[in-house]
Amino acid sequence: MKIEVIEKDDQYILNHCTKYLARESRDARHDFGQYAPGDDRAAICEAWRFPVVDAHWDGASAVSSYPYNDVTFVYDGRRAAPASVAVLGTFGPLHSPVPLRPLVFAGEATGFWAVTVRVPKGQVHTYKFAVDGAYVLDPVNPQRAVLDNGEPWSRFFTDACTVPLSLSRTERDLLGRLVRHLLPFRLDENRRLIRGVYESLDRAGRGEEFPLAYQLDDEVGTVNYIDKLIARQEQHNADDYHTCLKIIGEILRSRFGGLDPAAAPPDMYADLYRQMETEKVDGWDYSRYGSPRYFLLLLRRHAMTGAFVHPKHGGNSGAAGWMYLESRFRDARDTTLFDWRRALESPLGHNTDYRG
Amino acid sequence: MDGESATVVVIGSGAGGAPLTHTLVRAGHRVVVLEKGPLLRTQAQSPGGLSDFKRDECFATGSEKRITVQGVANTGESFFSSHVEPDLNDEPHVYRDSDGRDRVTIEGYTAQVVGGGTQLYGGVSPRFTPEDLRLATLNASRGDLRDDPGGDVRREARDWPLDYAALEPYYTRAEELVGINGTWDGQAKVPSQDHYQPPLDPNPISAYAAAGMDALGMRRYRTPLAVITRDHAPSGRTVPADADSIKTAFVNRYGDPLGLKSNVWVSLLAPLREVNGSGGLDLRANCTVTHLEADGPRVTKVHYRDPGGRPRTISAGTVVVACSAIESVRLLQLSGLLDPAFDKRVDANGLLGRYFLTHCFGGAQCIVPERADKSRTLDSDWATDHCARPEWFRAQGLWAGGVIYNNTSDGALPLSLARTWHAMDMDNMWKGYLYDTGIVGNGFEDYLEDSFGRRLSVAFMANQVPQRENRIELHPSVTDKWGRPVAYIIKTWHPHDRALMDTLAEQCRQILVRGGDVRDVSSGSVGGSVVRIANHVLGGARFGTEPADSVLDPDCRAWNFDNLYVTDGAFMPTSGSANPTLTIEANSFRVGDVLLDRVGRT
Repeated sequence: MKIEVIEKDDQYILNHCTKYLARESRDARHDFGQYAPGDDRAAICEAWRFPVVDAHWDGASAVSSYPYNDVTFVYDGRRAAPASVAVLGTFGPLHSPVPLRPLVFAGEATGFWAVTVRVPKGQVHTYKFAVDGAYVLDPVNPQRAVLDNGEPWSRFFTDACTVPLSLSRTERDLLGRLVRHLLPFRLDENRRLIRGVYESLDRAGRGEEFPLAYQLDDEVGTVNYIDKLIARQEQHNADDYHTCLKIIGEILRSRFGGLDPAAAPPDMYADLYRQMETEKVDGWDYSRYGSPRYFLLLLRRHAMTGAFVHPKHGGNSGAAGWMYLESRFRDARDTTLFDWRRALESPLGHNTDYRG
Repeated sequence: MDGESATVVVIGSGAGGAPLTHTLVRAGHRVVVLEKGPLLRTQAQSPGGLSDFKRDECFATGSEKRITVQGVANTGESFFSSHVEPDLNDEPHVYRDSDGRDRVTIEGYTAQVVGGGTQLYGGVSPRFTPEDLRLATLNASRGDLRDDPGGDVRREARDWPLDYAALEPYYTRAEELVGINGTWDGQAKVPSQDHYQPPLDPNPISAYAAAGMDALGMRRYRTPLAVITRDHAPSGRTVPADADSIKTAFVNRYGDPLGLKSNVWVSLLAPLREVNGSGGLDLRANCTVTHLEADGPRVTKVHYRDPGGRPRTISAGTVVVACSAIESVRLLQLSGLLDPAFDKRVDANGLLGRYFLTHCFGGAQCIVPERADKSRTLDSDWATDHCARPEWFRAQGLWAGGVIYNNTSDGALPLSLARTWHAMDMDNMWKGYLYDTGIVGNGFEDYLEDSFGRRLSVAFMANQVPQRENRIELHPSVTDKWGRPVAYIIKTWHPHDRALMDTLAEQCRQILVRGGDVRDVSSGSVGGSVVRIANHVLGGARFGTEPADSVLDPDCRAWNFDNLYVTDGAFMPTSGSANPTLTIEANSFRVGDVLLDRVGRT
């Protein structure tokens, strides 16, 4: 497991640091309920952007570049002024920390440190910084994971990640049923279309056309998208999902004779949806969550986004949502009226000028 | 670095700052450009071979955040900013709503990035008409203006201190150096030279707008768009072999990873990197200017935060402020807050921040029978100056006219369609879709059937009546992440604005009604909305010939300063009948020539 360090100029990294990290105010301006009182991350705008996960370009081809991300670790040493900073993580050998370098602006040190490494897509890793030899969590990154030995580590995941991070199996199953009701893919003709397009490809074709495709089902990866969203940029909405899915599970179980809600008929989900719209849901525990409609609106936005987002965010798996629109809307000569492939890079699209 | 100096320091790298920088550096001078935002490069410019912009809707408009600013009426509400807009909790704009309460808004920003707003805009680049620059003269003897019982319009209309003929060479220079495609035939503006590149084929959906304009006898032309369609020698940019691949809906509000959209970074600043042995352009991205310091009539120091937030200073022979109107006014007011003597000079007549302007804006939309692939589009295909002609707006009892053009890129992609469903402004992003809870299952199918590739809109852009009470102030309590008071926007519409908007919205509606077998035609304007302040922020430091009636002299120099210039849209005394970017660029080229006379032609 060799670590490949990618050369990025300081400009690239400072472009991220200034907007999100540089500030004088220590107010909790960016705490939307996800941080405990006193957590420094509450003062940092969009802390979730660190480490920076970006596309990779190997200088040769989109096909050989596509499976990787460039991951940039940033350490804010402006207050402590350390002499050395390194990063140690599961993306490389655990005995060889990768040194960060000081970032410079106009010939002078800024106090920020950084290094960029190449990491395959679809992975989850944990890491710590070694600051003057002492191992510390990344003070910026909101993601943390507690390992089996009880030790907290900082965590990141790369694009198109399919490893469950936020939601339990039960929660994912239930969420899948809810999302299925919201999206157009549940209709029989659309379901046939989605499956038909994907299943018509042979194994090699799938690998070429839909690398990292995952769970191509009626939700086209939307549940995975939400799982990643509430693990990182909308972590402040994670509790809404945990609380409401629990309440919904209880309601459906009671309505479905105590059986598994994931197996309940579609009508039960449609009824629940209609009740949530009106804020009056039979059996809802309003002391635990006051507004089922609020959760429904949250779910609507996430479902829509997850179905039609760039697949790297974990939804629109294998570009199935886009393929649905591509096939659904055609002119009299059977030419598509949503030619998304021309705008996007190979192997996802067929634009030869854009690299992703 | 402290203690360093520069001949010219330009604050802001967008449409107001880049053209004059281009002029000065090409003439052999060193210019330091301080830009608050990052330097995001095209993939051809990037050492790593990848652009810092992406064709990714989640990248263009981010995840949910919430307003945590205390003491405003919308604390706790969601917002969705782009990657180059400031975070509202770090640097909010606050406006006073019609209910008298303060609210934080995403409106009123241009992009904070090298290249400024030209990085994100759709590129619509018409000139102003000759009449736009002489609205006081044109209306001096009018007694027929609608909804103007107090005579405000005639009293507040201003002529620009230069006429169209004086600005025309700079329009021509801007069109040549920036790189614009379009056609002249049918325009009310006359060019001395044609530097337009040929337009790409229009999107099929635009045929309805073209038919409607034709049916109404409106001469039309291909909308001037700041996107190159051929190799562009002045900036060294080249286009793909398949020129049609330029035409992608990832243009408006995305940022262009390939550099084909003629933002002022790729067209004017990037080509300077090798000029004067790389020493001419000293571009410092991620640097926020906090205030200016003066000694009598000379600005002596520019105080700024470097990318790490460390306070720094640079002294300058000449200082140009070009942060976009609201932020430029705020910077001057912040400087005055720290130094009463500065304040007395810059705001001697109490006009700084006054006569803040946007545009009268609105239009009509409909559903067309034949679906089109709106992912194959630029921002607009057809425009008409029919309603910008004096004979037309005089006949309507209006003081000024406006340009009308059709939009093609709105709602082109599925997420952008849903995000902006029924949205009246950026603050309403997602709300229309979320609350339209019938969009689910079969309803989702119906929604797509009606909306995807079948929605056509036509928009107008027209002069807003200048009002002294429309103003930018420093907010009394809300501060940015550096502890500085934020901009406070106080603005209403004049009754004549509403009359004008109603008239132009009806014209837009007629275009669609006459365009074919369309249905569900609706029309409207921002006339009922205070919040809609972002469609071009202008005024607040207008230029003029009388020191008692303006903030800047005809050269855009602050009246009581020797070396302080303002060159973004703040200089405009009236807002023009078209999108303002090209005019801001042209004026910046003009001021560039003024500065050349000042610092010397080498």
